[in-house]
Amino acid sequence: MHPTPRSRWRATMGDVHFWIPVAVLAAGLVVLWWIA
Amino acid sequence: MDRLNELDPARLRQLQRVGILSGFAAGAWLGAAEAPTKLVTLGVSPVLISFMMVLGVFLARWSLPALVRGTAALKDDVRQAPHLLVWAALGGCLWAVANTLTIFAIKDIGLAIAFPLWNANSLLGILWGTLLFNELRDAGRARWVGVLGGALFMFAGATVLAVTSSAHAPGGNAVRGVVAALTAGALWGTMYIPYRKAYLTGMHPLSFIAFFTIGELVMMTVLALTFVGGPGQVWRELAASRGILFWLLIAGFVWVVGDLFQQYAAKYVGISRGIPLSNTNQLWGLLWGMLVFGELAGGGRSAVIAGSLLMAAGAGAIAFASTPSREYRRWQEAGARESARYGVDPAYVAARMAGDDAGAARARHSPLDWLLVLAATAVFVASAALARVPALQVGWEWAAALTLALVGFLVAGGVALWRTTRFG
Repeated sequence: MHPTPRSRWRATMGDVHFWIPVAVLAAGLVVLWWIA
Repeated sequence: MDRLNELDPARLRQLQRVGILSGFAAGAWLGAAEAPTKLVTLGVSPVLISFMMVLGVFLARWSLPALVRGTAALKDDVRQAPHLLVWAALGGCLWAVANTLTIFAIKDIGLAIAFPLWNANSLLGILWGTLLFNELRDAGRARWVGVLGGALFMFAGATVLAVTSSAHAPGGNAVRGVVAALTAGALWGTMYIPYRKAYLTGMHPLSFIAFFTIGELVMMTVLALTFVGGPGQVWRELAASRGILFWLLIAGFVWVVGDLFQQYAAKYVGISRGIPLSNTNQLWGLLWGMLVFGELAGGGRSAVIAGSLLMAAGAGAIAFASTPSREYRRWQEAGARESARYGVDPAYVAARMAGDDAGAARARHSPLDWLLVLAATAVFVASAALARVPALQVGWEWAAALTLALVGFLVAGGVALWRTTRFG
């Protein structure tokens, strides 16, 4: 079955690998906010 | 997983060699990217410096792919795996925040201490590579020792270099500097998750960097607007800094060439091996600093040589811990998992992992490609016309020798990549 944009989006959101960089990015922004 | 075809061992060795060479070439070019930033005078906001560098990065990341493959090939890649655009942009955001943090870290604790701290990212890369992408699985104890031991050797060498140079550190807020450097390392170490994800799903490195840089530019623009104080203030400060813009654009361009080699290293030897190899950039940065800009003239060169030898030994150990067929099969399993999750053609993923780029043979250039190349060139030429040459003592003979080494890596890496993968 050919994947649709919706199914790909759901696959991305359901991929635990995706949330690791998102969490690290959020932490990095907090540190930058504190420093700058 | 029985459907996975075993890769010819000779082909695997070829890919490993080209990946290792790419890792070393990345180190040389990423290290050289620091040289133009040394010409930048103090007194400019760190966020603005990072923003100007990202402008150079953005120009390079669109003009180089347009020149080498053409934008039509980019569109083909996006059709196959559109979800990777999100991953690429996320990677770009991580890079932009990390790069900004490094400038704060350099300001507070100096480059010599900050550099090894954020280069600890290779240890994080090994962790993510092993945990998430089956790297080093079934590799055998000797290769584990080679990669992990090599990374620890490199970290020890980096620490020696830091301690040696600590007397030259500026008097900033040490805690803030250390936190900034370590956070930058965490961001950069995690940035390789999107890299590896892309290459296990068949994306071409030149396509990946073009979308990666959209994340970089958007995130950096948000940071600049937030921290510098609105569009009017950013523009005024940019105009006031036009004399240094060229050096930062060049730094960004050189960085992109290094990063491109790093992408190929991540693709063909994985992030657990590719990141430590490209972290040899610290050695190159130090060579530029010592030989061209006369840093550490007051002493400590023998300790620098000792630290450098430790780093080189570590890099050598990693270079020799090549991927055996049984480990590559685990990579293929990770690739098959990604193609199933995102609905990407398994044949496309397998071919791209093996360095086969079907599009390379029919690469074609459109007027848009030439427009991108011309526009980037025009920006560089215009900024060069406005550039100020700072009054600095520069060792031009050494600068020429190191530039020659850079060209050597570019030619050797470029030829090897072309012959083995057609830049695939």
